[in-house]
Amino acid sequence: MGKPILEIKNLSAKVADKEIIKNLNLTINAGEVHALMGPNGTGKSTLSYILTGKPGYEITDGEILFHGRDLTTLKPEERACAGIFLSMQYPVAIPGVASNNFLKHAVNAKRKYEGKPELDAAEFLKLLRGVAKDLDISAEMLKREINVGFSGGEKKRMEILQMSLLQPKLAILDEADSGLDIDALKIVAEGVNKWHNNDNSLLIITHHQDLLNHIQPDVVHIYADGHIVKSGDKNLAIELEKSGYKAFVDTKE
Amino acid sequence: MKLTEQDITLWGNDIPWLAGLREKGMRAFTATGLPTAKTEAWKYSFNAVGNMENLQIDTAPHECNGHCHHSEELPFAAYYIDFCNGKLQGEHFDLPRGVSVKPLVEAIYDGDAKSYLNKSFAVEKFPFAALNAAYLEQGAMIVVERNTVLDKPIVIRYHAHKSQNLFCNIRNIIALEARAKAEIIEYIDIEESTCFHNAVNEIFLAADSILKHYKLQKEGKTKYVSLNSVQQRSNSHYKCFVLQKENALARHESYINLLQEGACAEVDGAYRLNESGVSDITTNIRHLAPHTTSNQLVKGVVAGKAKGVFQGQIHIAPDAQQTEGHQLHRALLLSDEGEVDCKPELEIFADDVKCSHGATCGDLDKEQLFYMQSRGICMEEARQILIEAYLQEVLNMIDNSEIAAWISKNL
Repeated sequence: MGKPILEIKNLSAKVADKEIIKNLNLTINAGEVHALMGPNGTGKSTLSYILTGKPGYEITDGEILFHGRDLTTLKPEERACAGIFLSMQYPVAIPGVASNNFLKHAVNAKRKYEGKPELDAAEFLKLLRGVAKDLDISAEMLKREINVGFSGGEKKRMEILQMSLLQPKLAILDEADSGLDIDALKIVAEGVNKWHNNDNSLLIITHHQDLLNHIQPDVVHIYADGHIVKSGDKNLAIELEKSGYKAFVDTKE
Repeated sequence: MKLTEQDITLWGNDIPWLAGLREKGMRAFTATGLPTAKTEAWKYSFNAVGNMENLQIDTAPHECNGHCHHSEELPFAAYYIDFCNGKLQGEHFDLPRGVSVKPLVEAIYDGDAKSYLNKSFAVEKFPFAALNAAYLEQGAMIVVERNTVLDKPIVIRYHAHKSQNLFCNIRNIIALEARAKAEIIEYIDIEESTCFHNAVNEIFLAADSILKHYKLQKEGKTKYVSLNSVQQRSNSHYKCFVLQKENALARHESYINLLQEGACAEVDGAYRLNESGVSDITTNIRHLAPHTTSNQLVKGVVAGKAKGVFQGQIHIAPDAQQTEGHQLHRALLLSDEGEVDCKPELEIFADDVKCSHGATCGDLDKEQLFYMQSRGICMEEARQILIEAYLQEVLNMIDNSEIAAWISKNL
């Protein structure tokens, strides 16, 4: 087992005065793939935003360590440069910014953070072409404004392209399979599997099992009411697929 | 000495019609005076005009021929006309057949200018243009003869040097004859804080002619007001793009008369103010004939204590059926102390028309900012990228890619 990359301890957090995460504990070690499964609208995306530092989310208790270091004091861009990547459920369209230009800014921001020289246009293009080809992203698509008018599949492939370019230590895939047909799902999964190794780790947030057929999880967590209610191996996801969430979620109400 | 007490002797006062124009201009200005809060067309920017009493008119020649300023070559082939301290530099201009450029005084002396001067607007309605008429002397007359297509843009560069308290009045006549086609770029690069430029371009577009008019007003501390008065005959096309950067006052006023069927005017613009100053883009497009069209897209970015003004008037005369007039102004207001004023005015007297206007004002999109930050791009860089992307939409209106790239670099 590798060293812990992410340690969430007794985390509670709220958005607009509503407590969404309640006493959550989760440790992800290097080389591991974790799946966080739960019904829609229970705060799974909230966790991804808290990890990436989106404004508007307040941590009320507990701590988050990334490589043993307190994550919560870092700005969103510092977290990204330190190695956290979020593939968003709804990637944001930015009219007026060409995808390739956006990607170059991102890659060079990270290189600058690491003290490496920035890539010039030719060097960057060489890097980009290789990665884009694997994800079936054309030069034409890279010229388009980022996420503007992209189909669901195009958006998700663009997210995985960013992940591949930025080579994070922890990737969070938030509903990376939503809106994908079976071919697009395979491309996304292959992109993720190509990146994944013993040094990095993956947190897949999803409410169904599709993506997990292509990316094998080491640990599956069932998340409800702001915390993890049950953890197990990949069979838990299969079990869940048959029985539904009701069997695991405490329905006191 | 105060401006009003100066004894100013201008060239050619012995030419009766010229002296008459000057007198009429001064009478009109004296009647209205400087704009106030009650002057509708200057409602939001009259304050930035300030006190003009200490300004001086310099009647002495200024022939530096580029020695007192750095004449920046543009990154594409062009013909150049230079003004320094409001004075036209040189007398002879090397242009291809079918195109002539003359100093205004020569065009007045020859009688060529008589049928154009003050013919496109009424001095009573434009206080600064009235003042410009009162001090009529400096300027250039550009004529593109029928069927002539200019191979390179004409660049008019405006500079100033040691021009303390100087009041510069410039009048250009731009006339395109039938089926002529030209690109004219005005490049204003004046840093001096105490000079005041008052420019009037009278533009006459004959049938089927096309003029693309670009204006880049660079950062400076100057005050620069201009009236661009355009008269358009049938199927002529006037396409204007203006970029105004931070200055004490930069005002680009367009007064466009679509006189005959098929005439089309486009006025697009961008302004970017980081700390202070006023940018004013004011248009009045008058559809006076059927089947005329106009389009306007202006986008601005205001930060600090700066102020952006857009006033867009579209007038559609009773006979001007089947016309189209569209207008959109959008601004990013990035500070609490900044100000954006927008005033659309539509006067529609015909019933078969398509008209639209719109205005938005807001801050940068927080979701877009976070998306960029989550990819490692720092907040400041993300803001710059978004601001440039915001203005890029209006730069896309420029169809000459070399000029677009040059303007884009100056954003």
